Amino acid sequence: MKLHPLSVPYRAISRGISVGTSVVFLGITLSGTGAIPDLIGPALVGLAILGVLVTAGWEVAYYRRFDYELTDDGLDLASGVVSRRHREIPLRRVQNVDISRNVIQRALGLAALDLETAGGGETEASLRYVGYDEAKRLQREIQRLKRGGAATDAGESVGRPDDPEETLFELSMPELVALSLLSFDLRYVSVLAFGPVAFPFVPGIADLAFLGGIVIVGLLAVGLWAISAVFTFARYYGFRLSQVGEELRYERGLVQRYDGSIPLEKVQTVTVRENVLMRRFGYAALAVETAGYAPGQTPSGGSEAAVPLATRERVLDLAREVEPFDPPEFERPPKRARTRYVARYTLALAGVAGLLLGARALAGRPDLWYAPLALVVLTPVAAQLKWANRGYARADRHVVTRNGFWQRTTKIVAYDRVQTVIETRTIFQRRRRLATVVIDTASSAGFGGREASAVDLDRTDARRLRELVGRRLHERLGERWTERTGRR
Amino acid sequence: METLNPRIRLVWGVGVLVTAAVLGVGVGVADRFALGVGAWIAVVAAVAVLGVGVGYVLVKYRVWAFEVRDDDLYLERGVLTRVHTVVPFVRVQHVDTQRGPIERAAGLSSVVVYTAGSRGADVTIPGLTPDRADALQERLRRLAIESEGDFDAV
Repeated sequence: MKLHPLSVPYRAISRGISVGTSVVFLGITLSGTGAIPDLIGPALVGLAILGVLVTAGWEVAYYRRFDYELTDDGLDLASGVVSRRHREIPLRRVQNVDISRNVIQRALGLAALDLETAGGGETEASLRYVGYDEAKRLQREIQRLKRGGAATDAGESVGRPDDPEETLFELSMPELVALSLLSFDLRYVSVLAFGPVAFPFVPGIADLAFLGGIVIVGLLAVGLWAISAVFTFARYYGFRLSQVGEELRYERGLVQRYDGSIPLEKVQTVTVRENVLMRRFGYAALAVETAGYAPGQTPSGGSEAAVPLATRERVLDLAREVEPFDPPEFERPPKRARTRYVARYTLALAGVAGLLLGARALAGRPDLWYAPLALVVLTPVAAQLKWANRGYARADRHVVTRNGFWQRTTKIVAYDRVQTVIETRTIFQRRRRLATVVIDTASSAGFGGREASAVDLDRTDARRLRELVGRRLHERLGERWTERTGRR
Repeated sequence: METLNPRIRLVWGVGVLVTAAVLGVGVGVADRFALGVGAWIAVVAAVAVLGVGVGYVLVKYRVWAFEVRDDDLYLERGVLTRVHTVVPFVRVQHVDTQRGPIERAAGLSSVVVYTAGSRGADVTIPGLTPDRADALQERLRRLAIESEGDFDAV
């Protein structure tokens, strides 16, 4: 099968604009240096047109040389203008199928389809672009074929009654507004960090740094909060999560529309997130992680298999729908772990004061270099909060871990999803007979230290947990094996 | 628990030696162009790094241990941060043996075990004689197949 014919002009124009502008810029820059003969207006325009034409030609060739077919066992792709690539993706290995459409694509009836498997870091198959109906058909067919149906031709299955679609969750307008207001994306905070750093170099501001700095940081925080609110609103507009047979489906987006599917049997980890504000108002968010990628992560441009905001009870109900776990009874780390956090925060504050002192030695300011040390009185409170939000629970079929005060993250991992178990003890932990147990799954959200980890357990508890998880993995796999063979 | 071949200390030691030499040269250059303290500082820096490095290697060797248990591979390692890893055989994707140039000179080999996990995705057991490495690879491979059943490893 071919891509949608309209994908040629769409790709050519979107690519052509960027190629054309970069050619013009390159021409202007180079003609100033004398590396090439000076270019005048018409020559530049001609060059740009040439660039656009070459791009258009390339896109026509791309379209002509791109072929895909959905067979009984997999999706076959043949692509490449100069170097050819044939790829077969076995359907059993497919993790997620995602469809995304921006405003222009929606007007043209186009859609981008991405298919993820567990292998590799990038999207395994990406159809840019097919018709929206065709994308939906592929998504449905892939699910049907995975259950062992036979392939049908296009058209035949369009509009055919499918598995009943049961809506699990729909984000209402008040909830969306609440979500936009409550979500303060920490990723934007890194921008904030540059604010205070710049102040010492602005003349006269150093003396005011303390008061003025706080005011400016406050203003920046409000601005960022507004930005995150707007982005969140556009991102989750019209969010809907439903279940079709053994698959979850989601839809969302105001400007760019996404819909995707996640097979329930491929779910690795279920994560419940609550930041301080959400906890205060009894709300929580839910993310379902598979081995393909995690919510909010490229390469699929931020596909989301998650409930962005709902009341705590609903989130827990939904989480149980995906992964039927018992209500966890958390065990906290031993109380002596708190001394570790106090020590850590004090050291961090001392480090900041040291940096400021160094800055004063070099630049003569700020005079109040010891000001961060005043915060030392707050470290016991911070340590207590960190300690109180930490914990782990061993349920019958799941292990649950919880961490974080500002953003409390609860991770639920079924024993039969565990890949490896890693117990670590840093020198600071060894002094206090503590250990951390990381329960690693194939979920791609794990990159960057976001695995389920039970932090600062007593040494013997850690060892027990490590062995227990390994043992339960085998028991559960054995049970699943007899369940399956017994049924056959 | 099984331990590594003592010759692995030589392999790690060569690494330390290289680091110390590079650092010594670096300090020497810095001294020549900026500090002007005297050439002895480069020697002192290199010897200090060498001393710390040798101690590190000795502890690392003493701590390193692994065991092929009934259902999983168990490893203990780490000098500053102790790491104990459990790799269930069901999760093993494939097993490699590897030999770097220094390892070859010392007559040693390593086994690398790959899983689909995100963090402990590959586990290396260094300091094995080639025969032992091959035997371990074969044994792990067989155990992985035996325990597999008909499960998708993900």
